[in-house]
Amino acid sequence: MIQLEHISKRFGGRLAVQDLSLEVPRGEIYGLLGHNGAGKSTAIGIMLGQVWPSGGRVRICGHEVTRDRGRALSKVGAIFESPAFYDYLSGWRNLEILSSYTRPTPPGRIREIIEWVGLSGREHSKVRTYSHGMRARLALAQTLLPEPELLILDEPSDGLDPEGIHEMRQTILRLHREMGLTILLSSHFLNEVEQLCGRIAVLSQGKKVFEGSLAETRHRESRVRLDTPDFAGAAGQLRAAGLIRDAVPEGNVLLLNGGVETHQVVRFLVERGFAVNGIAREQRTLEDFYLSLMETERGGKRPVGGPAAWPAN
Amino acid sequence: MFYHPLRNELWKLFGKKRTYIGFGAFLLGQNAMLLAFRFTRWQEHMERLLRGNGYLAEEYVSALTVAVVMLIPQVILLMPLYAALVGGDLVAKEAEDGTLRMILARPISRFRLLLAKWVAGIIFSASLVLVLGVTALIFARIWFPWRGMFVFAPGMVFNVFSPADGLKLYVWSHLLMTLNASVILALAFMFSCFNMKPAAATILALSYLFVNLVVEGIPFFEAYHEWLLPYHFRCWLLVYADPIAWDRIIGSVVVLVAANLTAFLIGQAAFQARDLKS
Repeated sequence: MIQLEHISKRFGGRLAVQDLSLEVPRGEIYGLLGHNGAGKSTAIGIMLGQVWPSGGRVRICGHEVTRDRGRALSKVGAIFESPAFYDYLSGWRNLEILSSYTRPTPPGRIREIIEWVGLSGREHSKVRTYSHGMRARLALAQTLLPEPELLILDEPSDGLDPEGIHEMRQTILRLHREMGLTILLSSHFLNEVEQLCGRIAVLSQGKKVFEGSLAETRHRESRVRLDTPDFAGAAGQLRAAGLIRDAVPEGNVLLLNGGVETHQVVRFLVERGFAVNGIAREQRTLEDFYLSLMETERGGKRPVGGPAAWPAN
Repeated sequence: MFYHPLRNELWKLFGKKRTYIGFGAFLLGQNAMLLAFRFTRWQEHMERLLRGNGYLAEEYVSALTVAVVMLIPQVILLMPLYAALVGGDLVAKEAEDGTLRMILARPISRFRLLLAKWVAGIIFSASLVLVLGVTALIFARIWFPWRGMFVFAPGMVFNVFSPADGLKLYVWSHLLMTLNASVILALAFMFSCFNMKPAAATILALSYLFVNLVVEGIPFFEAYHEWLLPYHFRCWLLVYADPIAWDRIIGSVVVLVAANLTAFLIGQAAFQARDLKS
């Protein structure tokens, strides 16, 4: 659905996006992560034909955006952080206006979407009287009109209260499940991305520094928690044998070398007389992974097991 | 294909209170001038002028005459201000509010969107002038009888008409005023297509007109008047001249239409090249 090939964008002397390539297949919920100014919004702007790329190609739904924007965006809906509306008009009129830029939408379809997002009864009130949550619903409604196949959501939960964030998350899941929509989600809420997305890309200073499935982020490094009376001694022997890369006494965490499994560690220690009371592979959260990646990107030493980058589970 | 974008622009334009400031100001201004004409020595001066030129003042101090008297300062002062105010908002306000990004996430081309805005601006100009002309006539008629028309613009026009001819010319002059208003609006629209605030677009358009006026007043530039917009804006008064200087009017209309189109195209080019980011 979305193909970016070697996209770059320069604003004056600043390179906002550098050689960015990514592909979002049909039916996927794809997460776009990165710090403020990483280039996420610029990349989304390029996808929607709002920002001209300095180089590279963008294809949406099989059509090149810079050359055939009309067809490329005919099945696309988008939400931006703090969605803007004509506050002096009613919600209904806003939906009529915005959806007609794609194609005229029959009133029945507008009514159906209003019910779906839960705005019934308030659709003829002026948008200036809407709460933040209602505006978010209206944003969602306009995205779903007329009938998109791809949703591009740029910080859709921005500014919502915890209840609103939860509701937005459930709605995104429903859209994916019930309507089979492909969704590109840019978000700062890592737990949201973790719960929704199948694949992610991480941008840092305009460059893609990671692309892969969430499973890959969890198992990229093997961390185990070892329960043994002599942790320091066990770690020393494991390191000497080349089974681990590092050990963190706080929390008794071992960082296994590539290809090493937990049963090998247990056998090795038992054979050398260490009592092993327990060993458990640690599940990494997306937050752990992201923070570690950012630390590496900034060129800082990654504090393996340190509280900032590796919060104890 | 074009109906929906244009309908949207008209909904947006006429849905906000700001659009009606100009209409309100015209109503206030007209009534103030009407009262001043009726209750100061202004009316007396006009009657003396008519008598001095051999006309019966009672025949020509009429609704049509007073309507034109009220129009002149409003066309010079208020109309540019409100046309520029709305023109400056057309693109820049939407960019500032963020609604432009919402629209341009849709498959409408930038050209078609701007064309719809520009046409909506012309419709606004026409409605502004229509309201200006109709209300001026209605208010004047409340106080003055329906008789012959007298039009006086120093150095340009001194003429009298029957009520029927006067009304016909009054309509013609308003068509030309619509063109003036749309050119002023197009200038502000052009600036608003660049990356700037709505107020800046309005101020730049008004500044451009002001500079034109100042330059026109400098004797050195007398030979270059035809290059300045205010010279052509005055063509609406020339329909009251005898004989009517059609060549001058047609020339001015061509220049004004060309200025309008040029402003639109410059705005288009600037808007096409822009990156739209929050």
